[in-house]
Amino acid sequence: MTTGRKLAIGGAVVVGVTAYMACLGGAASWQYYLTVDECLTCPDGHVGARVRVSGRVAAGSLEIAADRTWARFSLESSADASNGLPVVYAGPLPDKMVEVVVQGRLEATGLLRAEKVLTRCASKYEPGERPSSDNRDSRTGAEATR
Amino acid sequence: MNTLGQISLFGAFVASGYAAFACSASWRRGHRGIGRSGDVAAVLSVFLLTTVTAVLGWALVAKDFRFAYVAQYSSLDLPWHYSLSALWVGQAGSLLCWAWMLGVLALLYCFWPRRSANPLRRPAFGILMAYVCFLTATMVFGADPMTPSLDAPRDGLGLSPLLQHPVMLLHPPVVLLGYAAWAVPFALAIAGLVSGQRKGDGSLSPEWSAGRRDKNSTTPAPLFLFFLVEARPWALFAWVALGSGILLGAFWAYQELGWGGYWSWDPVENGSLIPWLTGTALIHALMAWEHRGVLKKTSLALAIATFGLCNFATFLTRSGFFSSLHAFSESPIGWMFLVAMLGLATMGGVLVFMRRRDLRPARPIESVWSREALMLLCILAMVLLATVALVGTLSTTLSKWILGQSIVVGPPFYNNVLIPLGLILLAGLGAAPVSRWGKAPTVLRQKRLVHSTCAGGIVAAVACAQGVRQPLALAVAWLTALAAITAVDVLRFRVSRRQVARALVHLGFLGLVIGVTGSSLGSRQHEVVLREGQSTAWAGRSIRLIRLTQEDQADKIVAAAELEISQNGSVVATLAPAQHLYRHQDEWTTEVAIHSAWSGDFYTIVQGPEEQGKVALTLIEKPLIRWLWLGGWITGAGALVGLWPKRRTSKAIREMPIAEPQQPRAA
Repeated sequence: MTTGRKLAIGGAVVVGVTAYMACLGGAASWQYYLTVDECLTCPDGHVGARVRVSGRVAAGSLEIAADRTWARFSLESSADASNGLPVVYAGPLPDKMVEVVVQGRLEATGLLRAEKVLTRCASKYEPGERPSSDNRDSRTGAEATR
Repeated sequence: MNTLGQISLFGAFVASGYAAFACSASWRRGHRGIGRSGDVAAVLSVFLLTTVTAVLGWALVAKDFRFAYVAQYSSLDLPWHYSLSALWVGQAGSLLCWAWMLGVLALLYCFWPRRSANPLRRPAFGILMAYVCFLTATMVFGADPMTPSLDAPRDGLGLSPLLQHPVMLLHPPVVLLGYAAWAVPFALAIAGLVSGQRKGDGSLSPEWSAGRRDKNSTTPAPLFLFFLVEARPWALFAWVALGSGILLGAFWAYQELGWGGYWSWDPVENGSLIPWLTGTALIHALMAWEHRGVLKKTSLALAIATFGLCNFATFLTRSGFFSSLHAFSESPIGWMFLVAMLGLATMGGVLVFMRRRDLRPARPIESVWSREALMLLCILAMVLLATVALVGTLSTTLSKWILGQSIVVGPPFYNNVLIPLGLILLAGLGAAPVSRWGKAPTVLRQKRLVHSTCAGGIVAAVACAQGVRQPLALAVAWLTALAAITAVDVLRFRVSRRQVARALVHLGFLGLVIGVTGSSLGSRQHEVVLREGQSTAWAGRSIRLIRLTQEDQADKIVAAAELEISQNGSVVATLAPAQHLYRHQDEWTTEVAIHSAWSGDFYTIVQGPEEQGKVALTLIEKPLIRWLWLGGWITGAGALVGLWPKRRTSKAIREMPIAEPQQPRAA
């Protein structure tokens, strides 16, 4: 066998192992990335599945337990202001609960049981947005993990 | 001032455009006069960019809110140095910084006094100026840092408290410097590819393609040799800058974001890591080319890909296209960068294909145990890691196109790949010092490798006896010890500066591996609610809440919890994790407190403002993480040792034949 062929076989093995490991990791960790409206309109399709939902916390909906071990809030829907996606989370929350990314599972009742809540740094570059803008840079992301 | 800035910016756009045109025109046709005028235009454009940067910097320090940019990122109570750092916080400002740095680097590259002639230098300079022109165009037509405020506010919006951290004064400009410096190897590669091989040297002497000059040889130097000689130092410089920038960013995230980690495989983080990985591969490929005349196409492709991926990173942060926790706003600039990146990728691919005959390897790889074969394996591992990071970053978009459903992949996707590829890289790193160019290692060297392997096994056994039980941790301990021994061992025999540099870089990298492995495999977390005076025991430590304090400062209220950490009955540290309420932004930020030691960090977080004498705490144990920072800095220092200009090499370069101006396809 020539050296070139040996190298090609070795390379192919490495590529194959990498692809296989990536598939394993992907299969174990993928989540649907949904908007609040997608969760509200079609909850059946995603019940029990791991989802990641990004949205705004509805004003006044945030409720935190006195000992900070759990919290409850709802995510605003852009289509229907009166209807929000309820979220329950057992764990300490990050600093700024304005725009958040919630990872967890959707329950049949329409409740999102969160496993992780992260604050999202929204785009605050364009003028005309809320003046008390809180996140202006590329890097923000206080994170709370269970 | 706005007007001065705007005129300067537009002037820089025009001047750099002309410089790019003139440099390529003089290269193709050999007009001296046009080339001269191009130089003048290039210097003028960099001068004008410096003016714009100075105007914006001055406006930020002086808090001149007539600039919309200043009003958005600064405020009256912000200290001047943080106000100045807003120069690279916003979109327009960071583009300006990038363009200015690139301009300065291009001038340095072209006009640094050197006695050797390089026919690729002028066209490469033209390409760099074309890129400066592109960057100024994104500012002129997309995000103008000089836009005046419609009505100047009395106070600005201020800088996000999270960015008011000393590391943030350095992290963005260092990353941008890295991006800018990768442009030089890229420009050299494109210039070499467009020019092609010199006429009349169809039969290359192997000495030339191996990067060494045969004194008796009359064959002129092949053009790509100039790429090889000049790309290496710039690639190394860019590598150090980008790597330090990433490390600073990780350090900042660890200290400031308050979740106990430093890396979360977020698109923006991946964006900077991907070009760093391909850049690392490039530096190794260049070495194989230099010594053996192999991996030529790989080197050129990697040089182009690395710079293209720097553009991709900018696209990631500027387009709002990807679901990141921290992306910039949506703007047309992202798309300009995407078009630039796709253009570069296509052009690079086509050019490398067209020149494939000139880029044939000087000889085949003769043994699978030779150093170049080992390097090829490691380059493959790095490129694969970069590809996986790229696929993961694009997963949301790709799945939307293919499946019609947005899907994101989590950290296991990356970590699963990082583990086998990381082990391959570690093994390669351990075997590299005993390998030889061109041939399998000698029996003596094989013996040394066997001895090191046994010594590594002993280290792993000791770690096992100490209570480390995870197979991965033991494998890493074994390979790390093996690699450290071979790296140091080789210095006993022959010591050239490049060898010292290589040993330092590799040892530093091993420190990094130890830190990453220890902190990710051994990390533990504990949530607890404590009253004043109460104590709890966790992770072999006793933690007592001494008291809760609240203090009013000029710009913030600091609510802290004083903790006493004791181990084996003696107090080891007093920590004060806190929550800061910034008055200007009316927001709470978490300030962590860390007790750091070589065995590991003890990381404490206060959750939320305290109430009625009790507070919720998160305690995290991060073993060995200090080695990560130490290893990172040693790696950087090692690369700088390798970068330091060397008299002997420069003499060798000086002896290169003076090249005539190139006229490709003229005859």
